[in-house]
Amino acid sequence: MSAGPTIHPKRPEVVTDGVASSRPRWLEIATSGDHKDVGRMLIAGSLAFLALALIEFLLIRLQLAVPENTMIEPVTFNRLLSVMGVSLVVLFALPLVLGLYTYLVPLQIGARALAFPRLANLSTWLYIVGGAILYTSFVYTPPEAGINPLPPLSDTAFISNNGVDVWITAVGLSVLGFVLLAINLLVTLRRLRAPGLATRRLPPFAFSAGVSSWILLIAGPAMLAALVMLEMDRRFEGVFFDPGGGGAPTYWQHLSWIFMTGCYLLMVIPAAAAISEILPTFARKPLISRRAVNLSLAATGAIGLLAWMQNMLTASIPIGWLYFAMAAALLLIVPVGVLFVNWLATLASGAIELRAPMLFALAAISTLSIGLVAELFHAVIPVNWLLADTADATAATGYVVVGGPVLGGIAALHYWFPKLTGRFMGESLARFSLVAILIGAHLTLLPMFLAGLDGQQADVYKYFEDDLYADGVVGTFQSLDTYNLISSIGALVLVTGIVMSLVNAARSAGHGRRAGHDPWRGDTLEWLALSPPPPHNFDVVPDVRSDEPMRDIRDAVKRRHPPVPASRAKSGEPVA
Amino acid sequence: MLGPESAHSPNAEDLNALYWVMMVIGLLLIVAINAALIGLVVRYRRSRGAAAPRRLRSRRPIQVVAASALAGLALVLFVLGVIFTENAREVEASGPDGLQASSLLTAQRDIKPPGGEDTEPLTIQASGQQWIWRYEYPDGTFSYYELVVPVDTAVLVELNSTDVVHRWWVPGLGGKFDVVPDQQSGTWFKADEEGVYYGASYQFSGAAYAAMRTRVRVVTPTEYEAWLEQQATDIQDAQELVRRQLDERVDSPDNPPDDGESVDIDSSAPGGGGGPSQ
Ligand SMILES: [Cu+2]
Repeated sequence: MSAGPTIHPKRPEVVTDGVASSRPRWLEIATSGDHKDVGRMLIAGSLAFLALALIEFLLIRLQLAVPENTMIEPVTFNRLLSVMGVSLVVLFALPLVLGLYTYLVPLQIGARALAFPRLANLSTWLYIVGGAILYTSFVYTPPEAGINPLPPLSDTAFISNNGVDVWITAVGLSVLGFVLLAINLLVTLRRLRAPGLATRRLPPFAFSAGVSSWILLIAGPAMLAALVMLEMDRRFEGVFFDPGGGGAPTYWQHLSWIFMTGCYLLMVIPAAAAISEILPTFARKPLISRRAVNLSLAATGAIGLLAWMQNMLTASIPIGWLYFAMAAALLLIVPVGVLFVNWLATLASGAIELRAPMLFALAAISTLSIGLVAELFHAVIPVNWLLADTADATAATGYVVVGGPVLGGIAALHYWFPKLTGRFMGESLARFSLVAILIGAHLTLLPMFLAGLDGQQADVYKYFEDDLYADGVVGTFQSLDTYNLISSIGALVLVTGIVMSLVNAARSAGHGRRAGHDPWRGDTLEWLALSPPPPHNFDVVPDVRSDEPMRDIRDAVKRRHPPVPASRAKSGEPVA
Repeated sequence: MLGPESAHSPNAEDLNALYWVMMVIGLLLIVAINAALIGLVVRYRRSRGAAAPRRLRSRRPIQVVAASALAGLALVLFVLGVIFTENAREVEASGPDGLQASSLLTAQRDIKPPGGEDTEPLTIQASGQQWIWRYEYPDGTFSYYELVVPVDTAVLVELNSTDVVHRWWVPGLGGKFDVVPDQQSGTWFKADEEGVYYGASYQFSGAAYAAMRTRVRVVTPTEYEAWLEQQATDIQDAQELVRRQLDERVDSPDNPPDDGESVDIDSSAPGGGGGPSQ
């Protein structure tokens, strides 16, 4: 029995519950349209690709540990870099977020399924096949055109092997899957909400699923179109981006940056939304203003997408458009700042419990604050002209990746793990992991800011020794050796920390402490369902009467059943 | 260490000045957020025996005040951004120590040339190619890897690419700008001190991108004129040499002429063919 309320199914609506299937279990899951199976596949897939990306990241940092290293061939390095870029963003960050949405949004809005269950299954497989195609290319030719394969470099005139085609296929299939999933989530959010769950009552995470889906719906097709055009340029004599034939390379930059800006927002917005649910739960008080938080999430998405040209401030675009990009990027200060203000105000006068999800959420806030401020530097045109595509840009993005999908993702994983598996993730391993990630991240990224200021290019396979510039040189490229060595050591610590969390999740899935159905006493509807939820999620779909439906349900249960003896009523403590 | 390369050109000064403004604001923001975060967590920790949580809800005015303050910050940064960008794009006239001879003045889309008469800037055609920079001077002389310019002289750098997208930047001498095939773009600088400035390509451009470096050597106008003359002679000699070798090869019966094959005269020019590592 759990400390939370238990709704006894008087008339179970799904009678096949618990009846063994004739098909093997893995086949059941692989072909399932149940949002929980789909969500778990996406989350598992994203974590697997994260592990692969970490290997590439370590190899890259190993190569850069010393100047003019010849350990890795330039082309091999560029392949590792290109594959790591896709892996971290398209194969890790996006599906992790979408997996959590797919699993949790129906639960949070009191729905029993997604709007299009089979489509959700198809989306997942498009993504998994896309990722598999990318990684099988290691046996022939992986992509080597960089994190963003700009034409003409990515055209056959300069890279004629199949690497870029693999990149196009992998990204194309995955993004197609994500766009379909976004449609699925939007329809689910619109049509399948529990009675009384008005838009203003949506919890931030479910609300952010709508925001993120709209972003994907706008940014995804732009990328798909660009990918088709690039492939036509490469193999079918198209002239979309080919400068000689009347095409324009800048056109690709616009389309790909719209998509990548969307990816960037999908690293920040869902993490911010998860934080906005974790903080109130562990401060034991509601968000100071859910309305302000949800509005800020939506505004961040809308304004953020308009700022795509912020990544192209060095291009020869008419200056008026550059000012437009700068204005949009700077305007982001307002919604993002309001989020921070609301988080801090929510902590005030709370009764804060520092359990693992809360610790990771707090660390995510801290890390995001650095990453987003560093990004703010790049929003201002003159400063962008200094910092763009130096190691500084790498570090700024790095802080957002660590703060968003990594720390925010692990916080969300810790928070909802009991719902997914019925078990807690290990608390002490979580603390070790968190400390290692924080120390590792700062060690890796802070020196990169300094290296960038000293002129280190982003994405290079080598940098040159200091003494090369010794005689009569006016500054520049002076201490790269030290910065890079520290950064490489930090990378090892960072990866160790992340791996600890991955191990923690893998081990706890089968052996963790049992959590019960409502271990954190959360106020949103997913905690009404059993853990893990049955295929139909809810026996009874409740009426929603306020922002905190579970609080109402708990009160109702308390009213109907007189207070239980003190031993059971210890709040917050799970009872197995 | 915390700042960019010290500025040696007026536009670099604009860039650096705004960088320091951002640095102050950015550090304040980061410190404020993190201090508040730690302070609140310590103050309101449950194990500290804090009182029961107060279920506070903010009223709209508080959120509006916060949003307005943030919008004010955004507006200030935007205005500063526009002012400093406009300043950085303004090409200054050459100084008294600079080269006074006039050269071609080309109007740039992103650059506003100065209005004066005998202050026309020196125009350099910089072309990015995998993976080296080629500089062409007003008299048609060219150099690879190293750009030699006179001190205190406004230099317009007209950028173009012969292959893929590159990005030209020499820290201390202004901002970085994309170099796109079939597209004209440009930047300018006016170096205030003689010496050697290192720079590179800052756009991933393929296998040897890391080695796509460059160097600007700033000398006195007299040295510049002398260097230009020497360079022109060297190029002529080299081309002569190639032509002679070619003739010999054609004349010799062992080497039948390979028709249609063009000879890349550029690649035998002095200063060509490689970065500092070679
Ligand atoms: Cu380049």
